[in-house]
Amino acid sequence: MPKIEPREPDELLAAARAGESDGFAALVRLHQARVFSIALRMLMDRALAEDLAQEVFLQLHHSIRSLDSHQHLVSWLRQVTTRRAIDRLRRERRTETLSLDESPGLDESLGLAASERDADPLLRQHLQSLIGKLAPMPRAILLLRYQEDLDPLDIAQTLAVPVNTVKSHLKRSLAALRMQLSAGAPLDESGEA
Amino acid sequence: MGKLVGTLLVVSLVSLPVFAAAPPLGQLALPSLESLEPQAKDSVSISLDASLLAVAARFLDSGQPEDRAVKEIIAGLQGVYVRSFTFDHAFVYPANAIDSLRKQLHTACWQSIMSVRKGNEDSTVDIFICQLQQKARGLAIIAVEPRELTIVNIVGAIDLDKLHRLEGHFGIPRLPEAK
Amino acid sequence: MNEEFDEQLRRALRPVDPGEAFTARVLARISPEPRNLRVRWRRAAWIPAALAASALLAVVGLHEWQQRQKEAGLAARTQVLEALRVTSQKLDLAYRLINTSSRPASDRDSGA
Repeated sequence: MPKIEPREPDELLAAARAGESDGFAALVRLHQARVFSIALRMLMDRALAEDLAQEVFLQLHHSIRSLDSHQHLVSWLRQVTTRRAIDRLRRERRTETLSLDESPGLDESLGLAASERDADPLLRQHLQSLIGKLAPMPRAILLLRYQEDLDPLDIAQTLAVPVNTVKSHLKRSLAALRMQLSAGAPLDESGEA
Repeated sequence: MGKLVGTLLVVSLVSLPVFAAAPPLGQLALPSLESLEPQAKDSVSISLDASLLAVAARFLDSGQPEDRAVKEIIAGLQGVYVRSFTFDHAFVYPANAIDSLRKQLHTACWQSIMSVRKGNEDSTVDIFICQLQQKARGLAIIAVEPRELTIVNIVGAIDLDKLHRLEGHFGIPRLPEAK
Repeated sequence: MNEEFDEQLRRALRPVDPGEAFTARVLARISPEPRNLRVRWRRAAWIPAALAASALLAVVGLHEWQQRQKEAGLAARTQVLEALRVTSQKLDLAYRLINTSSRPASDRDSGA
């Protein structure tokens, strides 16, 4: 069933580039879930994720005139958010891990509302917990693949790494996650069980 | 005398809740739709009474034509209430809650001005206005689509022509050209 | 099996919206209000240091209150726009449903 769409994203970008604050505000609303979610799942901390997401949008505001299409803007957001998050994790060398015992409280610790939980919350929490234990690069690759639905080539361009690196990380991470889900084996930082 | 004062006091105290709590004409008691929250992919819940609308109006820039237009639209309103849920899959329609809402729309000042059903799209839209002494006091919309449920209640006289002129701005959709 | 696991991952990683308050905070940071608050200090020797400190706290408190008010106002503005957007969208839906119902079947089939 065709849905009536709001103002076209390219129109919003044009408006924002022209200095129209409502165009920019609409772009923020359009993309804040994406940016915030990448930050949240990378940093595993809601306050830090909000902080990082705000910084990304501030940077977007400064850089908006250099973006010539909405597709370019989306790529830019993914790139900036994941790279900032990776840099942050590497700087802080965050090794905080969540044990399976803590995972039922993950929704509360990340401040998720009831509407954001689906029909199988335990599986979802468990998966998120496992993904949060991956090293920064494989974690980012997994997010870009399954949250953003990018193919390996796009992921490679976003993260500025070879495509074979992306494929290799994906293969290992997925195998490790599957094994962890079925056998309950702990995950090491490289993403291998 | 003391007894009379006492009686008057009791009468006024009994009356107080009636005068204090009555919502303005055109305002509906929206059903609690919490049962939909776990199923929903997205939800929008907006409750703006007259004071919040006044706050919002202060942050609309009269120097900008579009902001000015929005300010004009909300100037005559006493409340804006929206409940909207979007789902990934077909959802369990909250029949009891919607029925209780429809009962309110068959009382007092409310009348149906449009009721559209499209069977092959599984979509229905019902639009009601509350009118008293030739003046619009409220608008209500109930829209049910396969993966979306939306209830809108606007209290006061909303100028739909002015709303129509806002299309293309603020993310408000453009009406498709009539063919 | 792989597809099922892929689907589980997609559902687990569905984007989460941080809410309207986040939007308001971003917008507030981008367009800070001009400082209308002017405070004149008189450095008279007889003003006790404690009184001066209290006055400073009051100024800071007032500024924070103004920031909060601004955030609330921006959030309310955003909600008004969202409400109007939803209202218009549903009015347009009704219009579209009526229009496609009233067009002859042959027009609809040919895509006219």
